[in-house]
Amino acid sequence: MSSASSSLVMLVGLLVTAGCERENHHFSEVPPTATPSASALVVSELQPGPATIAPKIDAPYDDNAYAVSEGKTLFTSMNCSGCHFEGGGGIGPALMDDEWIYGSEPQQIFASIAEGRPNGMPAWEYRLSTQQIWELVSFVRSLSSLNPKGARGGRDDHMMLKPPEVSTPKGKPKTASALPGTQH
Amino acid sequence: MRRSRRLHGVATCVVLVSCVVACHGPQNVLDPAGSPNRIVNRLFWSMLVVSATVWIGVVGAALWGALTRRRTTREDLEPVVDLPNDDKQRQTRLVGALIAGTALILLLFLVFDFTVGRALAEHPNRALTIEIIGHQWWWEIQYVDADPSKIVVDANELHIPAGEPVQVTLSSRDVIHSFWVPNIIGKRDLIPGYTSSIFLDADRPGTYRAQCAEFCGVEHAKMALTVIVHSRADFTTWLAAQRAPATEPNDSSTKEGQRIFLAGPCSSCHSITGTAAYGTIGPDLTHLASRKTIGAGALANTRGNLAGWVVDPQSLKPGVRMPSNQLAPKDLLALLDYLESLK
Amino acid sequence: MAGAILSACKGGRENATSHIGLVAATGPATAVGDTTTRFADDGQWLRPSKDVQGTRFSGLTEINNQNVQNLRVVATFSTGVERGHEAAPVVAGSTMYIVTPYPNYVYALDLTKPGFPTKWSYKPHPVSASQGVACCDVVNRGLVFDNGKIFFNTLDGRTIALDAAIGKEQWVTQVGKINVGESVTMAPLVVKGRVLVGVSGGEFGVRGWLKALDEASGKVAWTAYHTGPDKDVLIGPNFRPFYAADSGKDLGINSWPGDRWKIGGAGAWGWITYDPELDLIYYGTANPGPWNPELRPGDNKWSATLFARRPETGEAVWAYQLTPHDQHDYDGVNESILVDMPWRGQQRKLILRPDRNGYFYVIDRSTGEVLSAEPYGFVNTTTGVDLKTGRLQYNPEKATRTGAVVRNSCPASPGMKDWQPSAYSPRTGLVYIPHQNLCMDEEGLEANYIAGTPYVGSHVKMYAGPTGNRGAFDAWDPVAARVVWSVREDLPVWSGALVTAGDVAFYGTMDGWFKAVDARTGRELWKFKTGSGIVGQPMTYRGPDGKQYVAILSGIGGWPGAIVAANLDARDSSAALGFVNAMKDLPQKTTKGGMLYVFGF
Repeated sequence: MSSASSSLVMLVGLLVTAGCERENHHFSEVPPTATPSASALVVSELQPGPATIAPKIDAPYDDNAYAVSEGKTLFTSMNCSGCHFEGGGGIGPALMDDEWIYGSEPQQIFASIAEGRPNGMPAWEYRLSTQQIWELVSFVRSLSSLNPKGARGGRDDHMMLKPPEVSTPKGKPKTASALPGTQH
Repeated sequence: MRRSRRLHGVATCVVLVSCVVACHGPQNVLDPAGSPNRIVNRLFWSMLVVSATVWIGVVGAALWGALTRRRTTREDLEPVVDLPNDDKQRQTRLVGALIAGTALILLLFLVFDFTVGRALAEHPNRALTIEIIGHQWWWEIQYVDADPSKIVVDANELHIPAGEPVQVTLSSRDVIHSFWVPNIIGKRDLIPGYTSSIFLDADRPGTYRAQCAEFCGVEHAKMALTVIVHSRADFTTWLAAQRAPATEPNDSSTKEGQRIFLAGPCSSCHSITGTAAYGTIGPDLTHLASRKTIGAGALANTRGNLAGWVVDPQSLKPGVRMPSNQLAPKDLLALLDYLESLK
Repeated sequence: MAGAILSACKGGRENATSHIGLVAATGPATAVGDTTTRFADDGQWLRPSKDVQGTRFSGLTEINNQNVQNLRVVATFSTGVERGHEAAPVVAGSTMYIVTPYPNYVYALDLTKPGFPTKWSYKPHPVSASQGVACCDVVNRGLVFDNGKIFFNTLDGRTIALDAAIGKEQWVTQVGKINVGESVTMAPLVVKGRVLVGVSGGEFGVRGWLKALDEASGKVAWTAYHTGPDKDVLIGPNFRPFYAADSGKDLGINSWPGDRWKIGGAGAWGWITYDPELDLIYYGTANPGPWNPELRPGDNKWSATLFARRPETGEAVWAYQLTPHDQHDYDGVNESILVDMPWRGQQRKLILRPDRNGYFYVIDRSTGEVLSAEPYGFVNTTTGVDLKTGRLQYNPEKATRTGAVVRNSCPASPGMKDWQPSAYSPRTGLVYIPHQNLCMDEEGLEANYIAGTPYVGSHVKMYAGPTGNRGAFDAWDPVAARVVWSVREDLPVWSGALVTAGDVAFYGTMDGWFKAVDARTGRELWKFKTGSGIVGQPMTYRGPDGKQYVAILSGIGGWPGAIVAANLDARDSSAALGFVNAMKDLPQKTTKGGMLYVFGF
């Protein structure tokens, strides 16, 4: 076998395995929680002393379309949409824009959902499994196109209220400038 | 050669046996246990008998024609210029009669079919209305009442009285499902955003199995519905029992089980009338212990199955909306005690 | 009835220092409407609605339709809060009191000194998580002055009494629990030693109630639930509803499926009025929960119902369900203005009520009989009110259905008019109605109840109604049941109304204009651009210097203003329960703020 054809086979193999994750159905597994390292949860840009880099936990399902769609189902059934609506916000802040009060990193969103936030966000730790929270994290990230395009939703099953996640332009996450006390 | 003959014999036996077996059972279209299936069966059998008779006649005539005029003479091959008048008339009359007969049979079938269609769509007096809502992957059943406080919500079991026409309205909350009780009624789709209406009428008490008949996702196969036909008196008793709120926990274990149910994730998705659990994502559990199965026919409703289902439903029905629940053994036992007390 | 007002001020420390006295000012010159003498004015403004009958009419005439164009800013005051300022400033003696949206600061401003310096301020520190159970911005609709005390509610469900002179806490009563979705945004009403407080949370599956607290101690005297058995609703042997549909045993249970009445909404976050002669309070209950009506078959009593109750015991005397089995979030919380006026040749005690469902009701307040119910804008969700049965007639084409989109339903969920109170002038006999003109597309959804989270089950997308303008300020003739004049506004008019004996009506717009119009013709006489959009309630008073002033809080927010106040994303049409779609241009027209403006000559 020539080296060209073997690299072709390897390339195809790589592409195939890479493509697997998109539709892989994770029915029951226990993904890592965001809690092992407290430093993963910092929401302040300012750290005393020489700057340290927060270790990151990657969202296990960011590139998994099935998990993102499960997250979307949960987003409605667990009443997240009651406050954040389809991402535009209302009682809670908008999630499809580029302002992130408590950070846009997967572990920060995980912490916001699990632990709650002081201005009205309930703590869901005892209501949702770790896996469900991660599915929600990836769906929330897909609202402002922070996850790979292939895993984002392409259409809604309901009344057309906003462009589908796959068509939402990617926003560069910014920290919110307003005080938490006057805003969620 | 002998082997193939034996295979033929086995195959014939299998077909014959399955034919005989197929004529009875809780999930069988050829074993009508109520209208509309009875009406459809009448149409089916009439059509089958008439069509079979015609088919046998036609095939017989063809065979007869093929087998009798074997010999061909020279004269036969010459073009027929003119038949004797008698023969010609006879032949025309015969062909005409057969055409008329065929048309008449088709017309009768048309009328019969039309009346059956009408009979399926309408029923003069429908005493009871039941609303069936399809979910991925379970059935929500509501026993409608003009007095809203008497509405009963149940899941995965359809209880109906024998000998009474029942109006059934069908809708779906997510994707297209299909309602099909082979013994009683043919398929009717449950379509999101659209309500369709059918009636059914069971002959005699019994238990039947229904199945979602439209592919609706990964657990489509495990979306069964148990249809239980009661006598009128039994049905009235059953309905009255279902209207009652859930049994109050009466000992320390069931009380603890209720606390776990309400404090944990269970109450986010399930309702138990009389408690603070009002979830609508999963089936109503007010009278869970009175049901024959769990997981929409996935498992028999036994304590062991229930334990497995609560702890790890994903291995029993992968993809089901219910997540796995890590519970301490004593909490699980208390929860099971509580769930089993919900008669 | 003027006596009632006078006695309400008795004992107020303010009066001791006030030099204005309690002199009756100019009464109605040519009264065509309510001919009672209660409109004599003492120059104070003790509660958001001015009088307990809810007229928002001032007898002061110094500012009138001849000179109003000379109004200029006399004083301003920043509240330090940037959410929807829906409250009315209140003036008792020589002090002005204001309450802000969450975190519900209270300020007392000294009107005797130039620039109106702060006398005292009070911070109640509501639980910050309460913001998560406020459906439509973290607003507060006002405080009341009575008997030397200030009474107000906090978002996290507390009712607080303060010493009006020094701002010292007198008592605090926890009336609501945020963990079951209860919040309190309404302004209390104080009558006969009772502080009346109702709950918000029709979008959170609360079990609605109205409570009466003892004015002196803060103890709960009675609680009337709006769902459940008769004994909880305080329906007893003296309950005499006018219509058959409202009578029967335990309708608060029987008109609901299962035990869904326990999470059926029907709060009371709007306006309460009081008739001292009949000794009855009148108020309407909110929408049933969830919004999707298919999830709650039945009439869903006592949601969207007008109640008449005894203030001392809470006992219900009559009830009339305005919107049975509500389909579109048509709360019944709007104001019931109480007037005595000739009706078809006969002097009658009436309720004038522009309801959220789009009908202007004229109701006999001693019996609960509906005398007239005519639409005051474009309505297609219903076809009318059957005056024989009292029943609202639904248009089946616009019924909300699960999983199906029904388009162009009018009025939209905020109704023809929401909480923003109208005013009544006995001089013109007209009701001045600030309202919106919106239609919507709606889709019913499954609703899952989890305590403390929203319970709505509906997708809504609102947009301007048929005439293109999203709001209007109308003068309505309740006898002829017609609009006398109408000022079209591009944006919904979400501020309250004020009308004076000087025949001037005031209101504000969501892009920040504070406007004065001629009460007889609707002609615009004066306007001033404030710093932020106006969703507050205008009021007027006579200052310690004997001059008349007009005041308003400016600060965008509330349900329609949430797009600005809470930085919502307009790409999502369903944001803020669908109101964002109708307000996409608001961020270009105004910015957040929180400022008191006082105008005078």
